[in-house]
Amino acid sequence: MTGRKTLLGIGTVVAMIGFNTAAQAEEILIGVATAQTGGLAPFDQPSLKGFEMAIEELNAKGGLGGKYTAKLLIKDTRTDMAQTATVAQELVDAGVKIMITPCDADSTIAASQITAPLSIPTLTFCGTAPILTVAVPEHAYGTYPADNLAATAVADFALSEGKKTAYLLISPDAAYTANLPEYFAKVFEAKGGKIVGRGSFTMGQPDFSAEVTNIRGLAEKPDMIMTGAYEPDFPAFLQQLRAAGVDTPVYGADALGTPTIRDLGKLVDGVVYTASGYAEPGSKLASFDEAFTKYAGHAPESTYEVNGYEIGLILDEAVRVADSDDSAAISAAIKGLDHFEGITGEITYAGTTGMPARALALMRYENGEAKHIATLTPDAADVPAP
Amino acid sequence: MIAQQIINAISLGGVYALLALGLAIVFSIIGLINFAHGELMTATGYALLGSLLMGVPFPLAVIVAICCGGLAAMAMERVAFRPMRGASVTSLLLTSFAVSSLLKVLFQNGVSARPQTILMPDWMTSAVTIGDITLRVGPAISIAISLLALLGLELFLRRTVMGTAMRAASEDFAVVRLMGIPANRVIATAFFISGIFAALAALLWIANRASVDPLMGFTPVLKAFIAAVIGGLGSLPGAVVGGFLLGVTEVLLQAVLPPELAPYRDAIVLSAVILVLLIRPQGLIPARRVQRS
Repeated sequence: MTGRKTLLGIGTVVAMIGFNTAAQAEEILIGVATAQTGGLAPFDQPSLKGFEMAIEELNAKGGLGGKYTAKLLIKDTRTDMAQTATVAQELVDAGVKIMITPCDADSTIAASQITAPLSIPTLTFCGTAPILTVAVPEHAYGTYPADNLAATAVADFALSEGKKTAYLLISPDAAYTANLPEYFAKVFEAKGGKIVGRGSFTMGQPDFSAEVTNIRGLAEKPDMIMTGAYEPDFPAFLQQLRAAGVDTPVYGADALGTPTIRDLGKLVDGVVYTASGYAEPGSKLASFDEAFTKYAGHAPESTYEVNGYEIGLILDEAVRVADSDDSAAISAAIKGLDHFEGITGEITYAGTTGMPARALALMRYENGEAKHIATLTPDAADVPAP
Repeated sequence: MIAQQIINAISLGGVYALLALGLAIVFSIIGLINFAHGELMTATGYALLGSLLMGVPFPLAVIVAICCGGLAAMAMERVAFRPMRGASVTSLLLTSFAVSSLLKVLFQNGVSARPQTILMPDWMTSAVTIGDITLRVGPAISIAISLLALLGLELFLRRTVMGTAMRAASEDFAVVRLMGIPANRVIATAFFISGIFAALAALLWIANRASVDPLMGFTPVLKAFIAAVIGGLGSLPGAVVGGFLLGVTEVLLQAVLPPELAPYRDAIVLSAVILVLLIRPQGLIPARRVQRS
């Protein structure tokens, strides 16, 4: 009898504690439909780590906007578009107020078809195609600098270095690989540069020898090569290009800022790319890197971690401004963010289509290390339309 | 430039031939198209990476990696395909897909989702200039290794008892078993050889791509499958011819197509495959016994 009474007593206490917690802190559900396996995993995994870190820190301080304890519902989309839509639907059914989607425009657009009618703000981890926020009528947001912005920064920088001719290596297989070089070409040509040729590749193709031989055979040698190719295609291309004795510098954007590319060592020397920030000693980003290392047990691999972390900060600020856990109100608050101080710099959504206006760091690999060479905020008038 | 493109073409053709041959050897014996063949390449890549990271000298690391490829293939047979022995072609096919997906996720979560850089020694990526022509060492090595491997296989099949048994098994497995040749050993040997071929192809593939990633097996196995089908499923000479034909067509199309047509390269190649199959439905050099039931 006594035993049963004790159990009953414990049960009541547990029930009361549970009741009290529920009554005190309001909870906001965030759906994380991202690719933790498959081709996008190298980008989504670090982003998620950064995002989780932000949410844990924010929850320790009382939650989003200091008020709403954030609870993450994380589901793997396996880098599959249909799976992304399915997962997004499941998360919406579970009652999420905010949705996070993979580092990819196509699957983000697929998920947004489900979230947009419910006014659920949907943020891609590091999808950069500017078309992303235009394809969906409302409530879809990018966080990483958009491709047209990055391409403008690269073109401005290349011209400032005295580059006059460029060759484009394009793959029609993804928005990033297809459009980044073309955005670059628009700015480069508008400002007096010349495109001397275009080559095409299929993502995952084993052999770049034909493209490389074509580049070697160009009548007019280009000053630089601009490409949206990323790993594992980029190392393959670069390896075969250098093996063929072509030393033309290769330029790209954010997807080249990864440990895989850096580990190519002297092969990758001279490659220029963009990043959302640069960890100058004493900067906010440097202290983030330190905190992240403590949190995750390893240093950040790229700027995807800090970008994931900044999404947490953006949501915190939006919920604070909205002073509500209502999806539409949070979305409106994100849309109004102006010169919001993140970790890598200021982030502005006001007046944009949903891709943030922000500064870009230009980096160059030298002796196997990424060196910061410039930080640029391209003139909005120069940035090509999506 | 034309000479270089031809060498590029033969070099890629050689890699495809190795891959297609690996598929064909197993298919000719047990009627399985092993779609997990690509994961044997990935396993080889990680074995090479692991050996190099542990400070094993490069030549030794290559040997370790090749052995790993062969052993992984035997392990795959023992764990996944032996319990399915005698199952329908479709069941075997689906099993191989399952093995492939499982291994991809294991590599991704167990090693890293991100490609890992493997840099081959400098001499392998260098070039020699003969007169006006600059020849890259990589493709030349690739051609040499492909030819040596093909020659080695031919000798094995013609000159050894096991080779003869395998040739016989590809024509009529039941009779071979009646002759007292143990089925398990024939099948295990077929898988071992297919693993070695996958490993050789993987090394050439990695030398060209400078990285190994969990999903790297997908494209090669697809190409190998196409090559094996063009050549005639289950026919070893067919696989070699199919591999070279596919590689040469891909590179030459890439070289000559104007940029605006280049994205259609794969579509053109696959249309050509359909054409070949319309004219010769059993492939260019059909296997003697076309389909096992």
